[in-house]
Amino acid sequence: MGLFRRLTNVLRPAHHSRDVRRELQFHLDERVDALVQGGMSSADARLTAQRQLGGLVRQSERTRDAGILEWLDSFAADLRYGLRAMANHRLASVVAIVSIGLGVGANTAIFSLINAVVLRPLPVAHPEELVEITFGERHASFTNPLWEEVRALPALAGSFAFAEADLDLATGGVARRRPTNFVSGGFFPVLGVRPLAGRLLQPADDVRGCASVAVVSEGFWRRELGGAASVVGTTIQLHKHPFEIVGVVPRSFPGIAVGHATDIYAPLCAEATIEDNPTFLDGRSTWFLTVMGRLKPGQDAETASRELSARAPAVFAATLPPDWPKREQDRYLKRTLSAVASPGGYSDIRAAYSTPLYILMAVVAIVLAIACANVAQLLMARAAARQREIAVRLAIGASRWRLFRQLLTEGMLLSLIGACFGVLFAQWAGKLLVRLLGASRGTVFLDTTIDWRLLGFITIVTIVNGIVFGLAPAWRASRISPQSALRSGSQGIIRGEPGQRAGKALVIGQIALALVLVTGAGLLLDSFRRLVAVDPGFRTDGLLVVRAELGATGVPDSLHPALEAQVLDRLRAIPGVQSVATSTIAPLSHMGWNGFVVTDGFTPRDEQDGISWFNAVSPGFFRTYQTPILTGRDFGATDTEKSPRVAIVNQAAVKHFFGGAPPIGKTFREGNGDTPGEPVEVVGVVANTRYQSVDEESEPIVYYPATQAGHFGDQMRISVRSRDALSITPAITAAIAEVHPAISLDFVTMQDQVAASIARPRLLAVLSGFFGGLALLLALIGLYGTIAYSVARRRNEIGIRLALGAHPSQVVGMILREAGTLAGIGLVLGTVLTLAGSRLLAAMLYGTTPTNPATLALSIGVVLAVALSAGAIPAVRAARLDPATALRTDG
Amino acid sequence: MPRARNDILQGTLGLLVLQTLATRGPLHGYAITAHIIQASAELLRVEEGSLYPALHRMEQDGWVKAEWGITEKNREARFYTLTPQGHKQLAQEQESWTRLTSGVRRVLRYA
Repeated sequence: MGLFRRLTNVLRPAHHSRDVRRELQFHLDERVDALVQGGMSSADARLTAQRQLGGLVRQSERTRDAGILEWLDSFAADLRYGLRAMANHRLASVVAIVSIGLGVGANTAIFSLINAVVLRPLPVAHPEELVEITFGERHASFTNPLWEEVRALPALAGSFAFAEADLDLATGGVARRRPTNFVSGGFFPVLGVRPLAGRLLQPADDVRGCASVAVVSEGFWRRELGGAASVVGTTIQLHKHPFEIVGVVPRSFPGIAVGHATDIYAPLCAEATIEDNPTFLDGRSTWFLTVMGRLKPGQDAETASRELSARAPAVFAATLPPDWPKREQDRYLKRTLSAVASPGGYSDIRAAYSTPLYILMAVVAIVLAIACANVAQLLMARAAARQREIAVRLAIGASRWRLFRQLLTEGMLLSLIGACFGVLFAQWAGKLLVRLLGASRGTVFLDTTIDWRLLGFITIVTIVNGIVFGLAPAWRASRISPQSALRSGSQGIIRGEPGQRAGKALVIGQIALALVLVTGAGLLLDSFRRLVAVDPGFRTDGLLVVRAELGATGVPDSLHPALEAQVLDRLRAIPGVQSVATSTIAPLSHMGWNGFVVTDGFTPRDEQDGISWFNAVSPGFFRTYQTPILTGRDFGATDTEKSPRVAIVNQAAVKHFFGGAPPIGKTFREGNGDTPGEPVEVVGVVANTRYQSVDEESEPIVYYPATQAGHFGDQMRISVRSRDALSITPAITAAIAEVHPAISLDFVTMQDQVAASIARPRLLAVLSGFFGGLALLLALIGLYGTIAYSVARRRNEIGIRLALGAHPSQVVGMILREAGTLAGIGLVLGTVLTLAGSRLLAAMLYGTTPTNPATLALSIGVVLAVALSAGAIPAVRAARLDPATALRTDG
Repeated sequence: MPRARNDILQGTLGLLVLQTLATRGPLHGYAITAHIIQASAELLRVEEGSLYPALHRMEQDGWVKAEWGITEKNREARFYTLTPQGHKQLAQEQESWTRLTSGVRRVLRYA
């Protein structure tokens, strides 16, 4: 029947059913007349006719079956019934809803992050047209000369370049850094961002020797500039240079790099001003730009790539770094250009967190599956208890489809309520996760608001849940045979019943999945524990790293060494400061300086093999870090710019470059063979330390005295050892301000630096540990439920056993064996799954392997212990049964 | 024990109703019942419980249309008339019924 007809039936239900009544009434009257004519009394005739017609009301119901109204009616009845059933089994329903809520919430929270970090395109018009320009790989940094060549190419509708920086708003003292983008003139026009106030940067703003103008974000404008339109035209200090604010970027465009909310945009040309280096933009080895573009209408990334790569030889020939070795230059000239579809822009947060987020997604999906299994079991047990009722309804003529639908409605109802709690939970959990992500990199800005993708995800999860745990009991109930169910009394059939089998299968699955998660969590926790326990080769507590910018002091470069010496002297004089030293590279800061080391008798296997890390340090550096000097001496006042060149090496360098022989007095040269440097004499050997981060191996490091390493820009990195790294900062600020008020300062304690470098493993360890525990708890509830249910059904049998003289311990053993068997099968299955799946974790592990037998064995032990304790409670309760009571009661 | 069944074979009720309306013009439900019983010499009996849902379904499918009218006893009744679509449906059902019965007859005769 047509949908329209059904709908019109709904729209005139009262009218419709009145018509039906009238029509049947007529039929009844006609029949009565006929019977009376046949000689029956009118009262008898009426009764007979009514009997034959089967009751007016029921008739009209059946006739109305044709309408959708009946369907809605029975749906409402199902809903009412479902709610009543939930109210009747309050505890079980609460457990079910909380399980689903946690499961759905965790999934939604993780998915909202994946959505924000990976899936969601940039909030600009036609993000699908955006491409990133690379050298054929996923991401590439460009030099400014290279960008200027690419900008001139006609291959795209438009292109732009940008670089991220943290510019200081203060004019000295402790730095107030704000996330800044240097952007090319095409940035806003190509992206299609419109100003909230004033104007945005244009190509005319981005020319060599440009005026110092900037635009600010709406957030920054409201938060720090008062949010008045009059801000346009005023100046702010960026890195101690005045910039005129010309406009405000609306909140709807938070920035080009997902995860970072940019506060300030300055034209690319201003980078030279900020750097106080007019030739900065001409640096052919200064790789700092990301280049993106917009495709022409109808153009695809491949066409654009072809056009770009055709032009690549000319582009690279025009920008060849003249000072590179020949071999490197040849390689440079062979590079190619390509356009990679990049609707979401480039983000380092995406690069770092995509894999962990997908791992967590898999983890929470498994947690949800375990939770679903619990709810399915609950509904199945409830359906089993209602077997008699269902059988009666079938016997008096209910349709099986109708029953099926009712149980499915109950499942959906639970799923829906659970999902609502889940979404609330996810709102909170999502914010927490964003904060955890931010632990390593300042503030992380992520838009986790609900959009169609998230909504679709939640809807699908909810429907699938409802079907999964509504379907199993519904299917079973719809297959009940009324005769056998009614015959077998309230107990149902005790053994080999399909429902019990399905319940056991669910529990086995839960235990298997729980083992997968517990093992995964075990591996990640073990990795994290190893990372925390790593000895970086120095004492991290009490160590503060101060970054001091001398650029704005106006002191000429030639006088910087004197200024630096003055700063160090003042710091040493602060009470509580034990020692002070400078270094070009602060350890574990993820910064690096490397180069080739050439020694007699050492031939590198390949290019990489000949490379060592470098650092330039002041005397006292090793004392400050408490890294022991094993042989030889520290640098001293005698190591000056003019004295013979010397170096201290670490043990790894001794082993690698000197074959392990005592190196004191030996020399090496720096360079790659084309242009070897002057000989450098080794004067000391220090213990190994970690260079960039704690999760790398101890690699060769060569230390030069700061005096002999040349000029490294205007920044000093000062390491200060004191009793308490944090409380000393005000004294340091004051002391340096006395030397020169324009010196700006950033502080970070070494312990924070270490914590930041292991933030990602910590995030994974904490979350996988939490979800592993949750999975275990849910599996425990599932197993407990199954065993308790089975004990309840076997009360009579257990009573008989006890009455016939079975010892309670035998009963306990019997029940525990049942739990143990289920757990055993689950564990075997889980081990197979774990071994197959844990390989995915390999890249996230440190110091352990995905198949570490100790972790697996421990996890199996934990799950088994939990499983047995889940069985122990019902087992002990069974053993305490009073045989007389158990036998007397039927249920 | 074999039992004589005079219930209407599933699926044939529609055919009987359509045929009745085609030959006897607009009729109300009770008259349709009466006609089928009479025309079949009381071999067939129409369940009222099936008749009205069937009639309403046919109405919604557009095979019959219904109007309120007054009977000779001055009672209000719903009169059903065959639509052109109903005529087509009748022809189809007649044909398939003929095919079915001739098939069944053959089986009974030769199998």
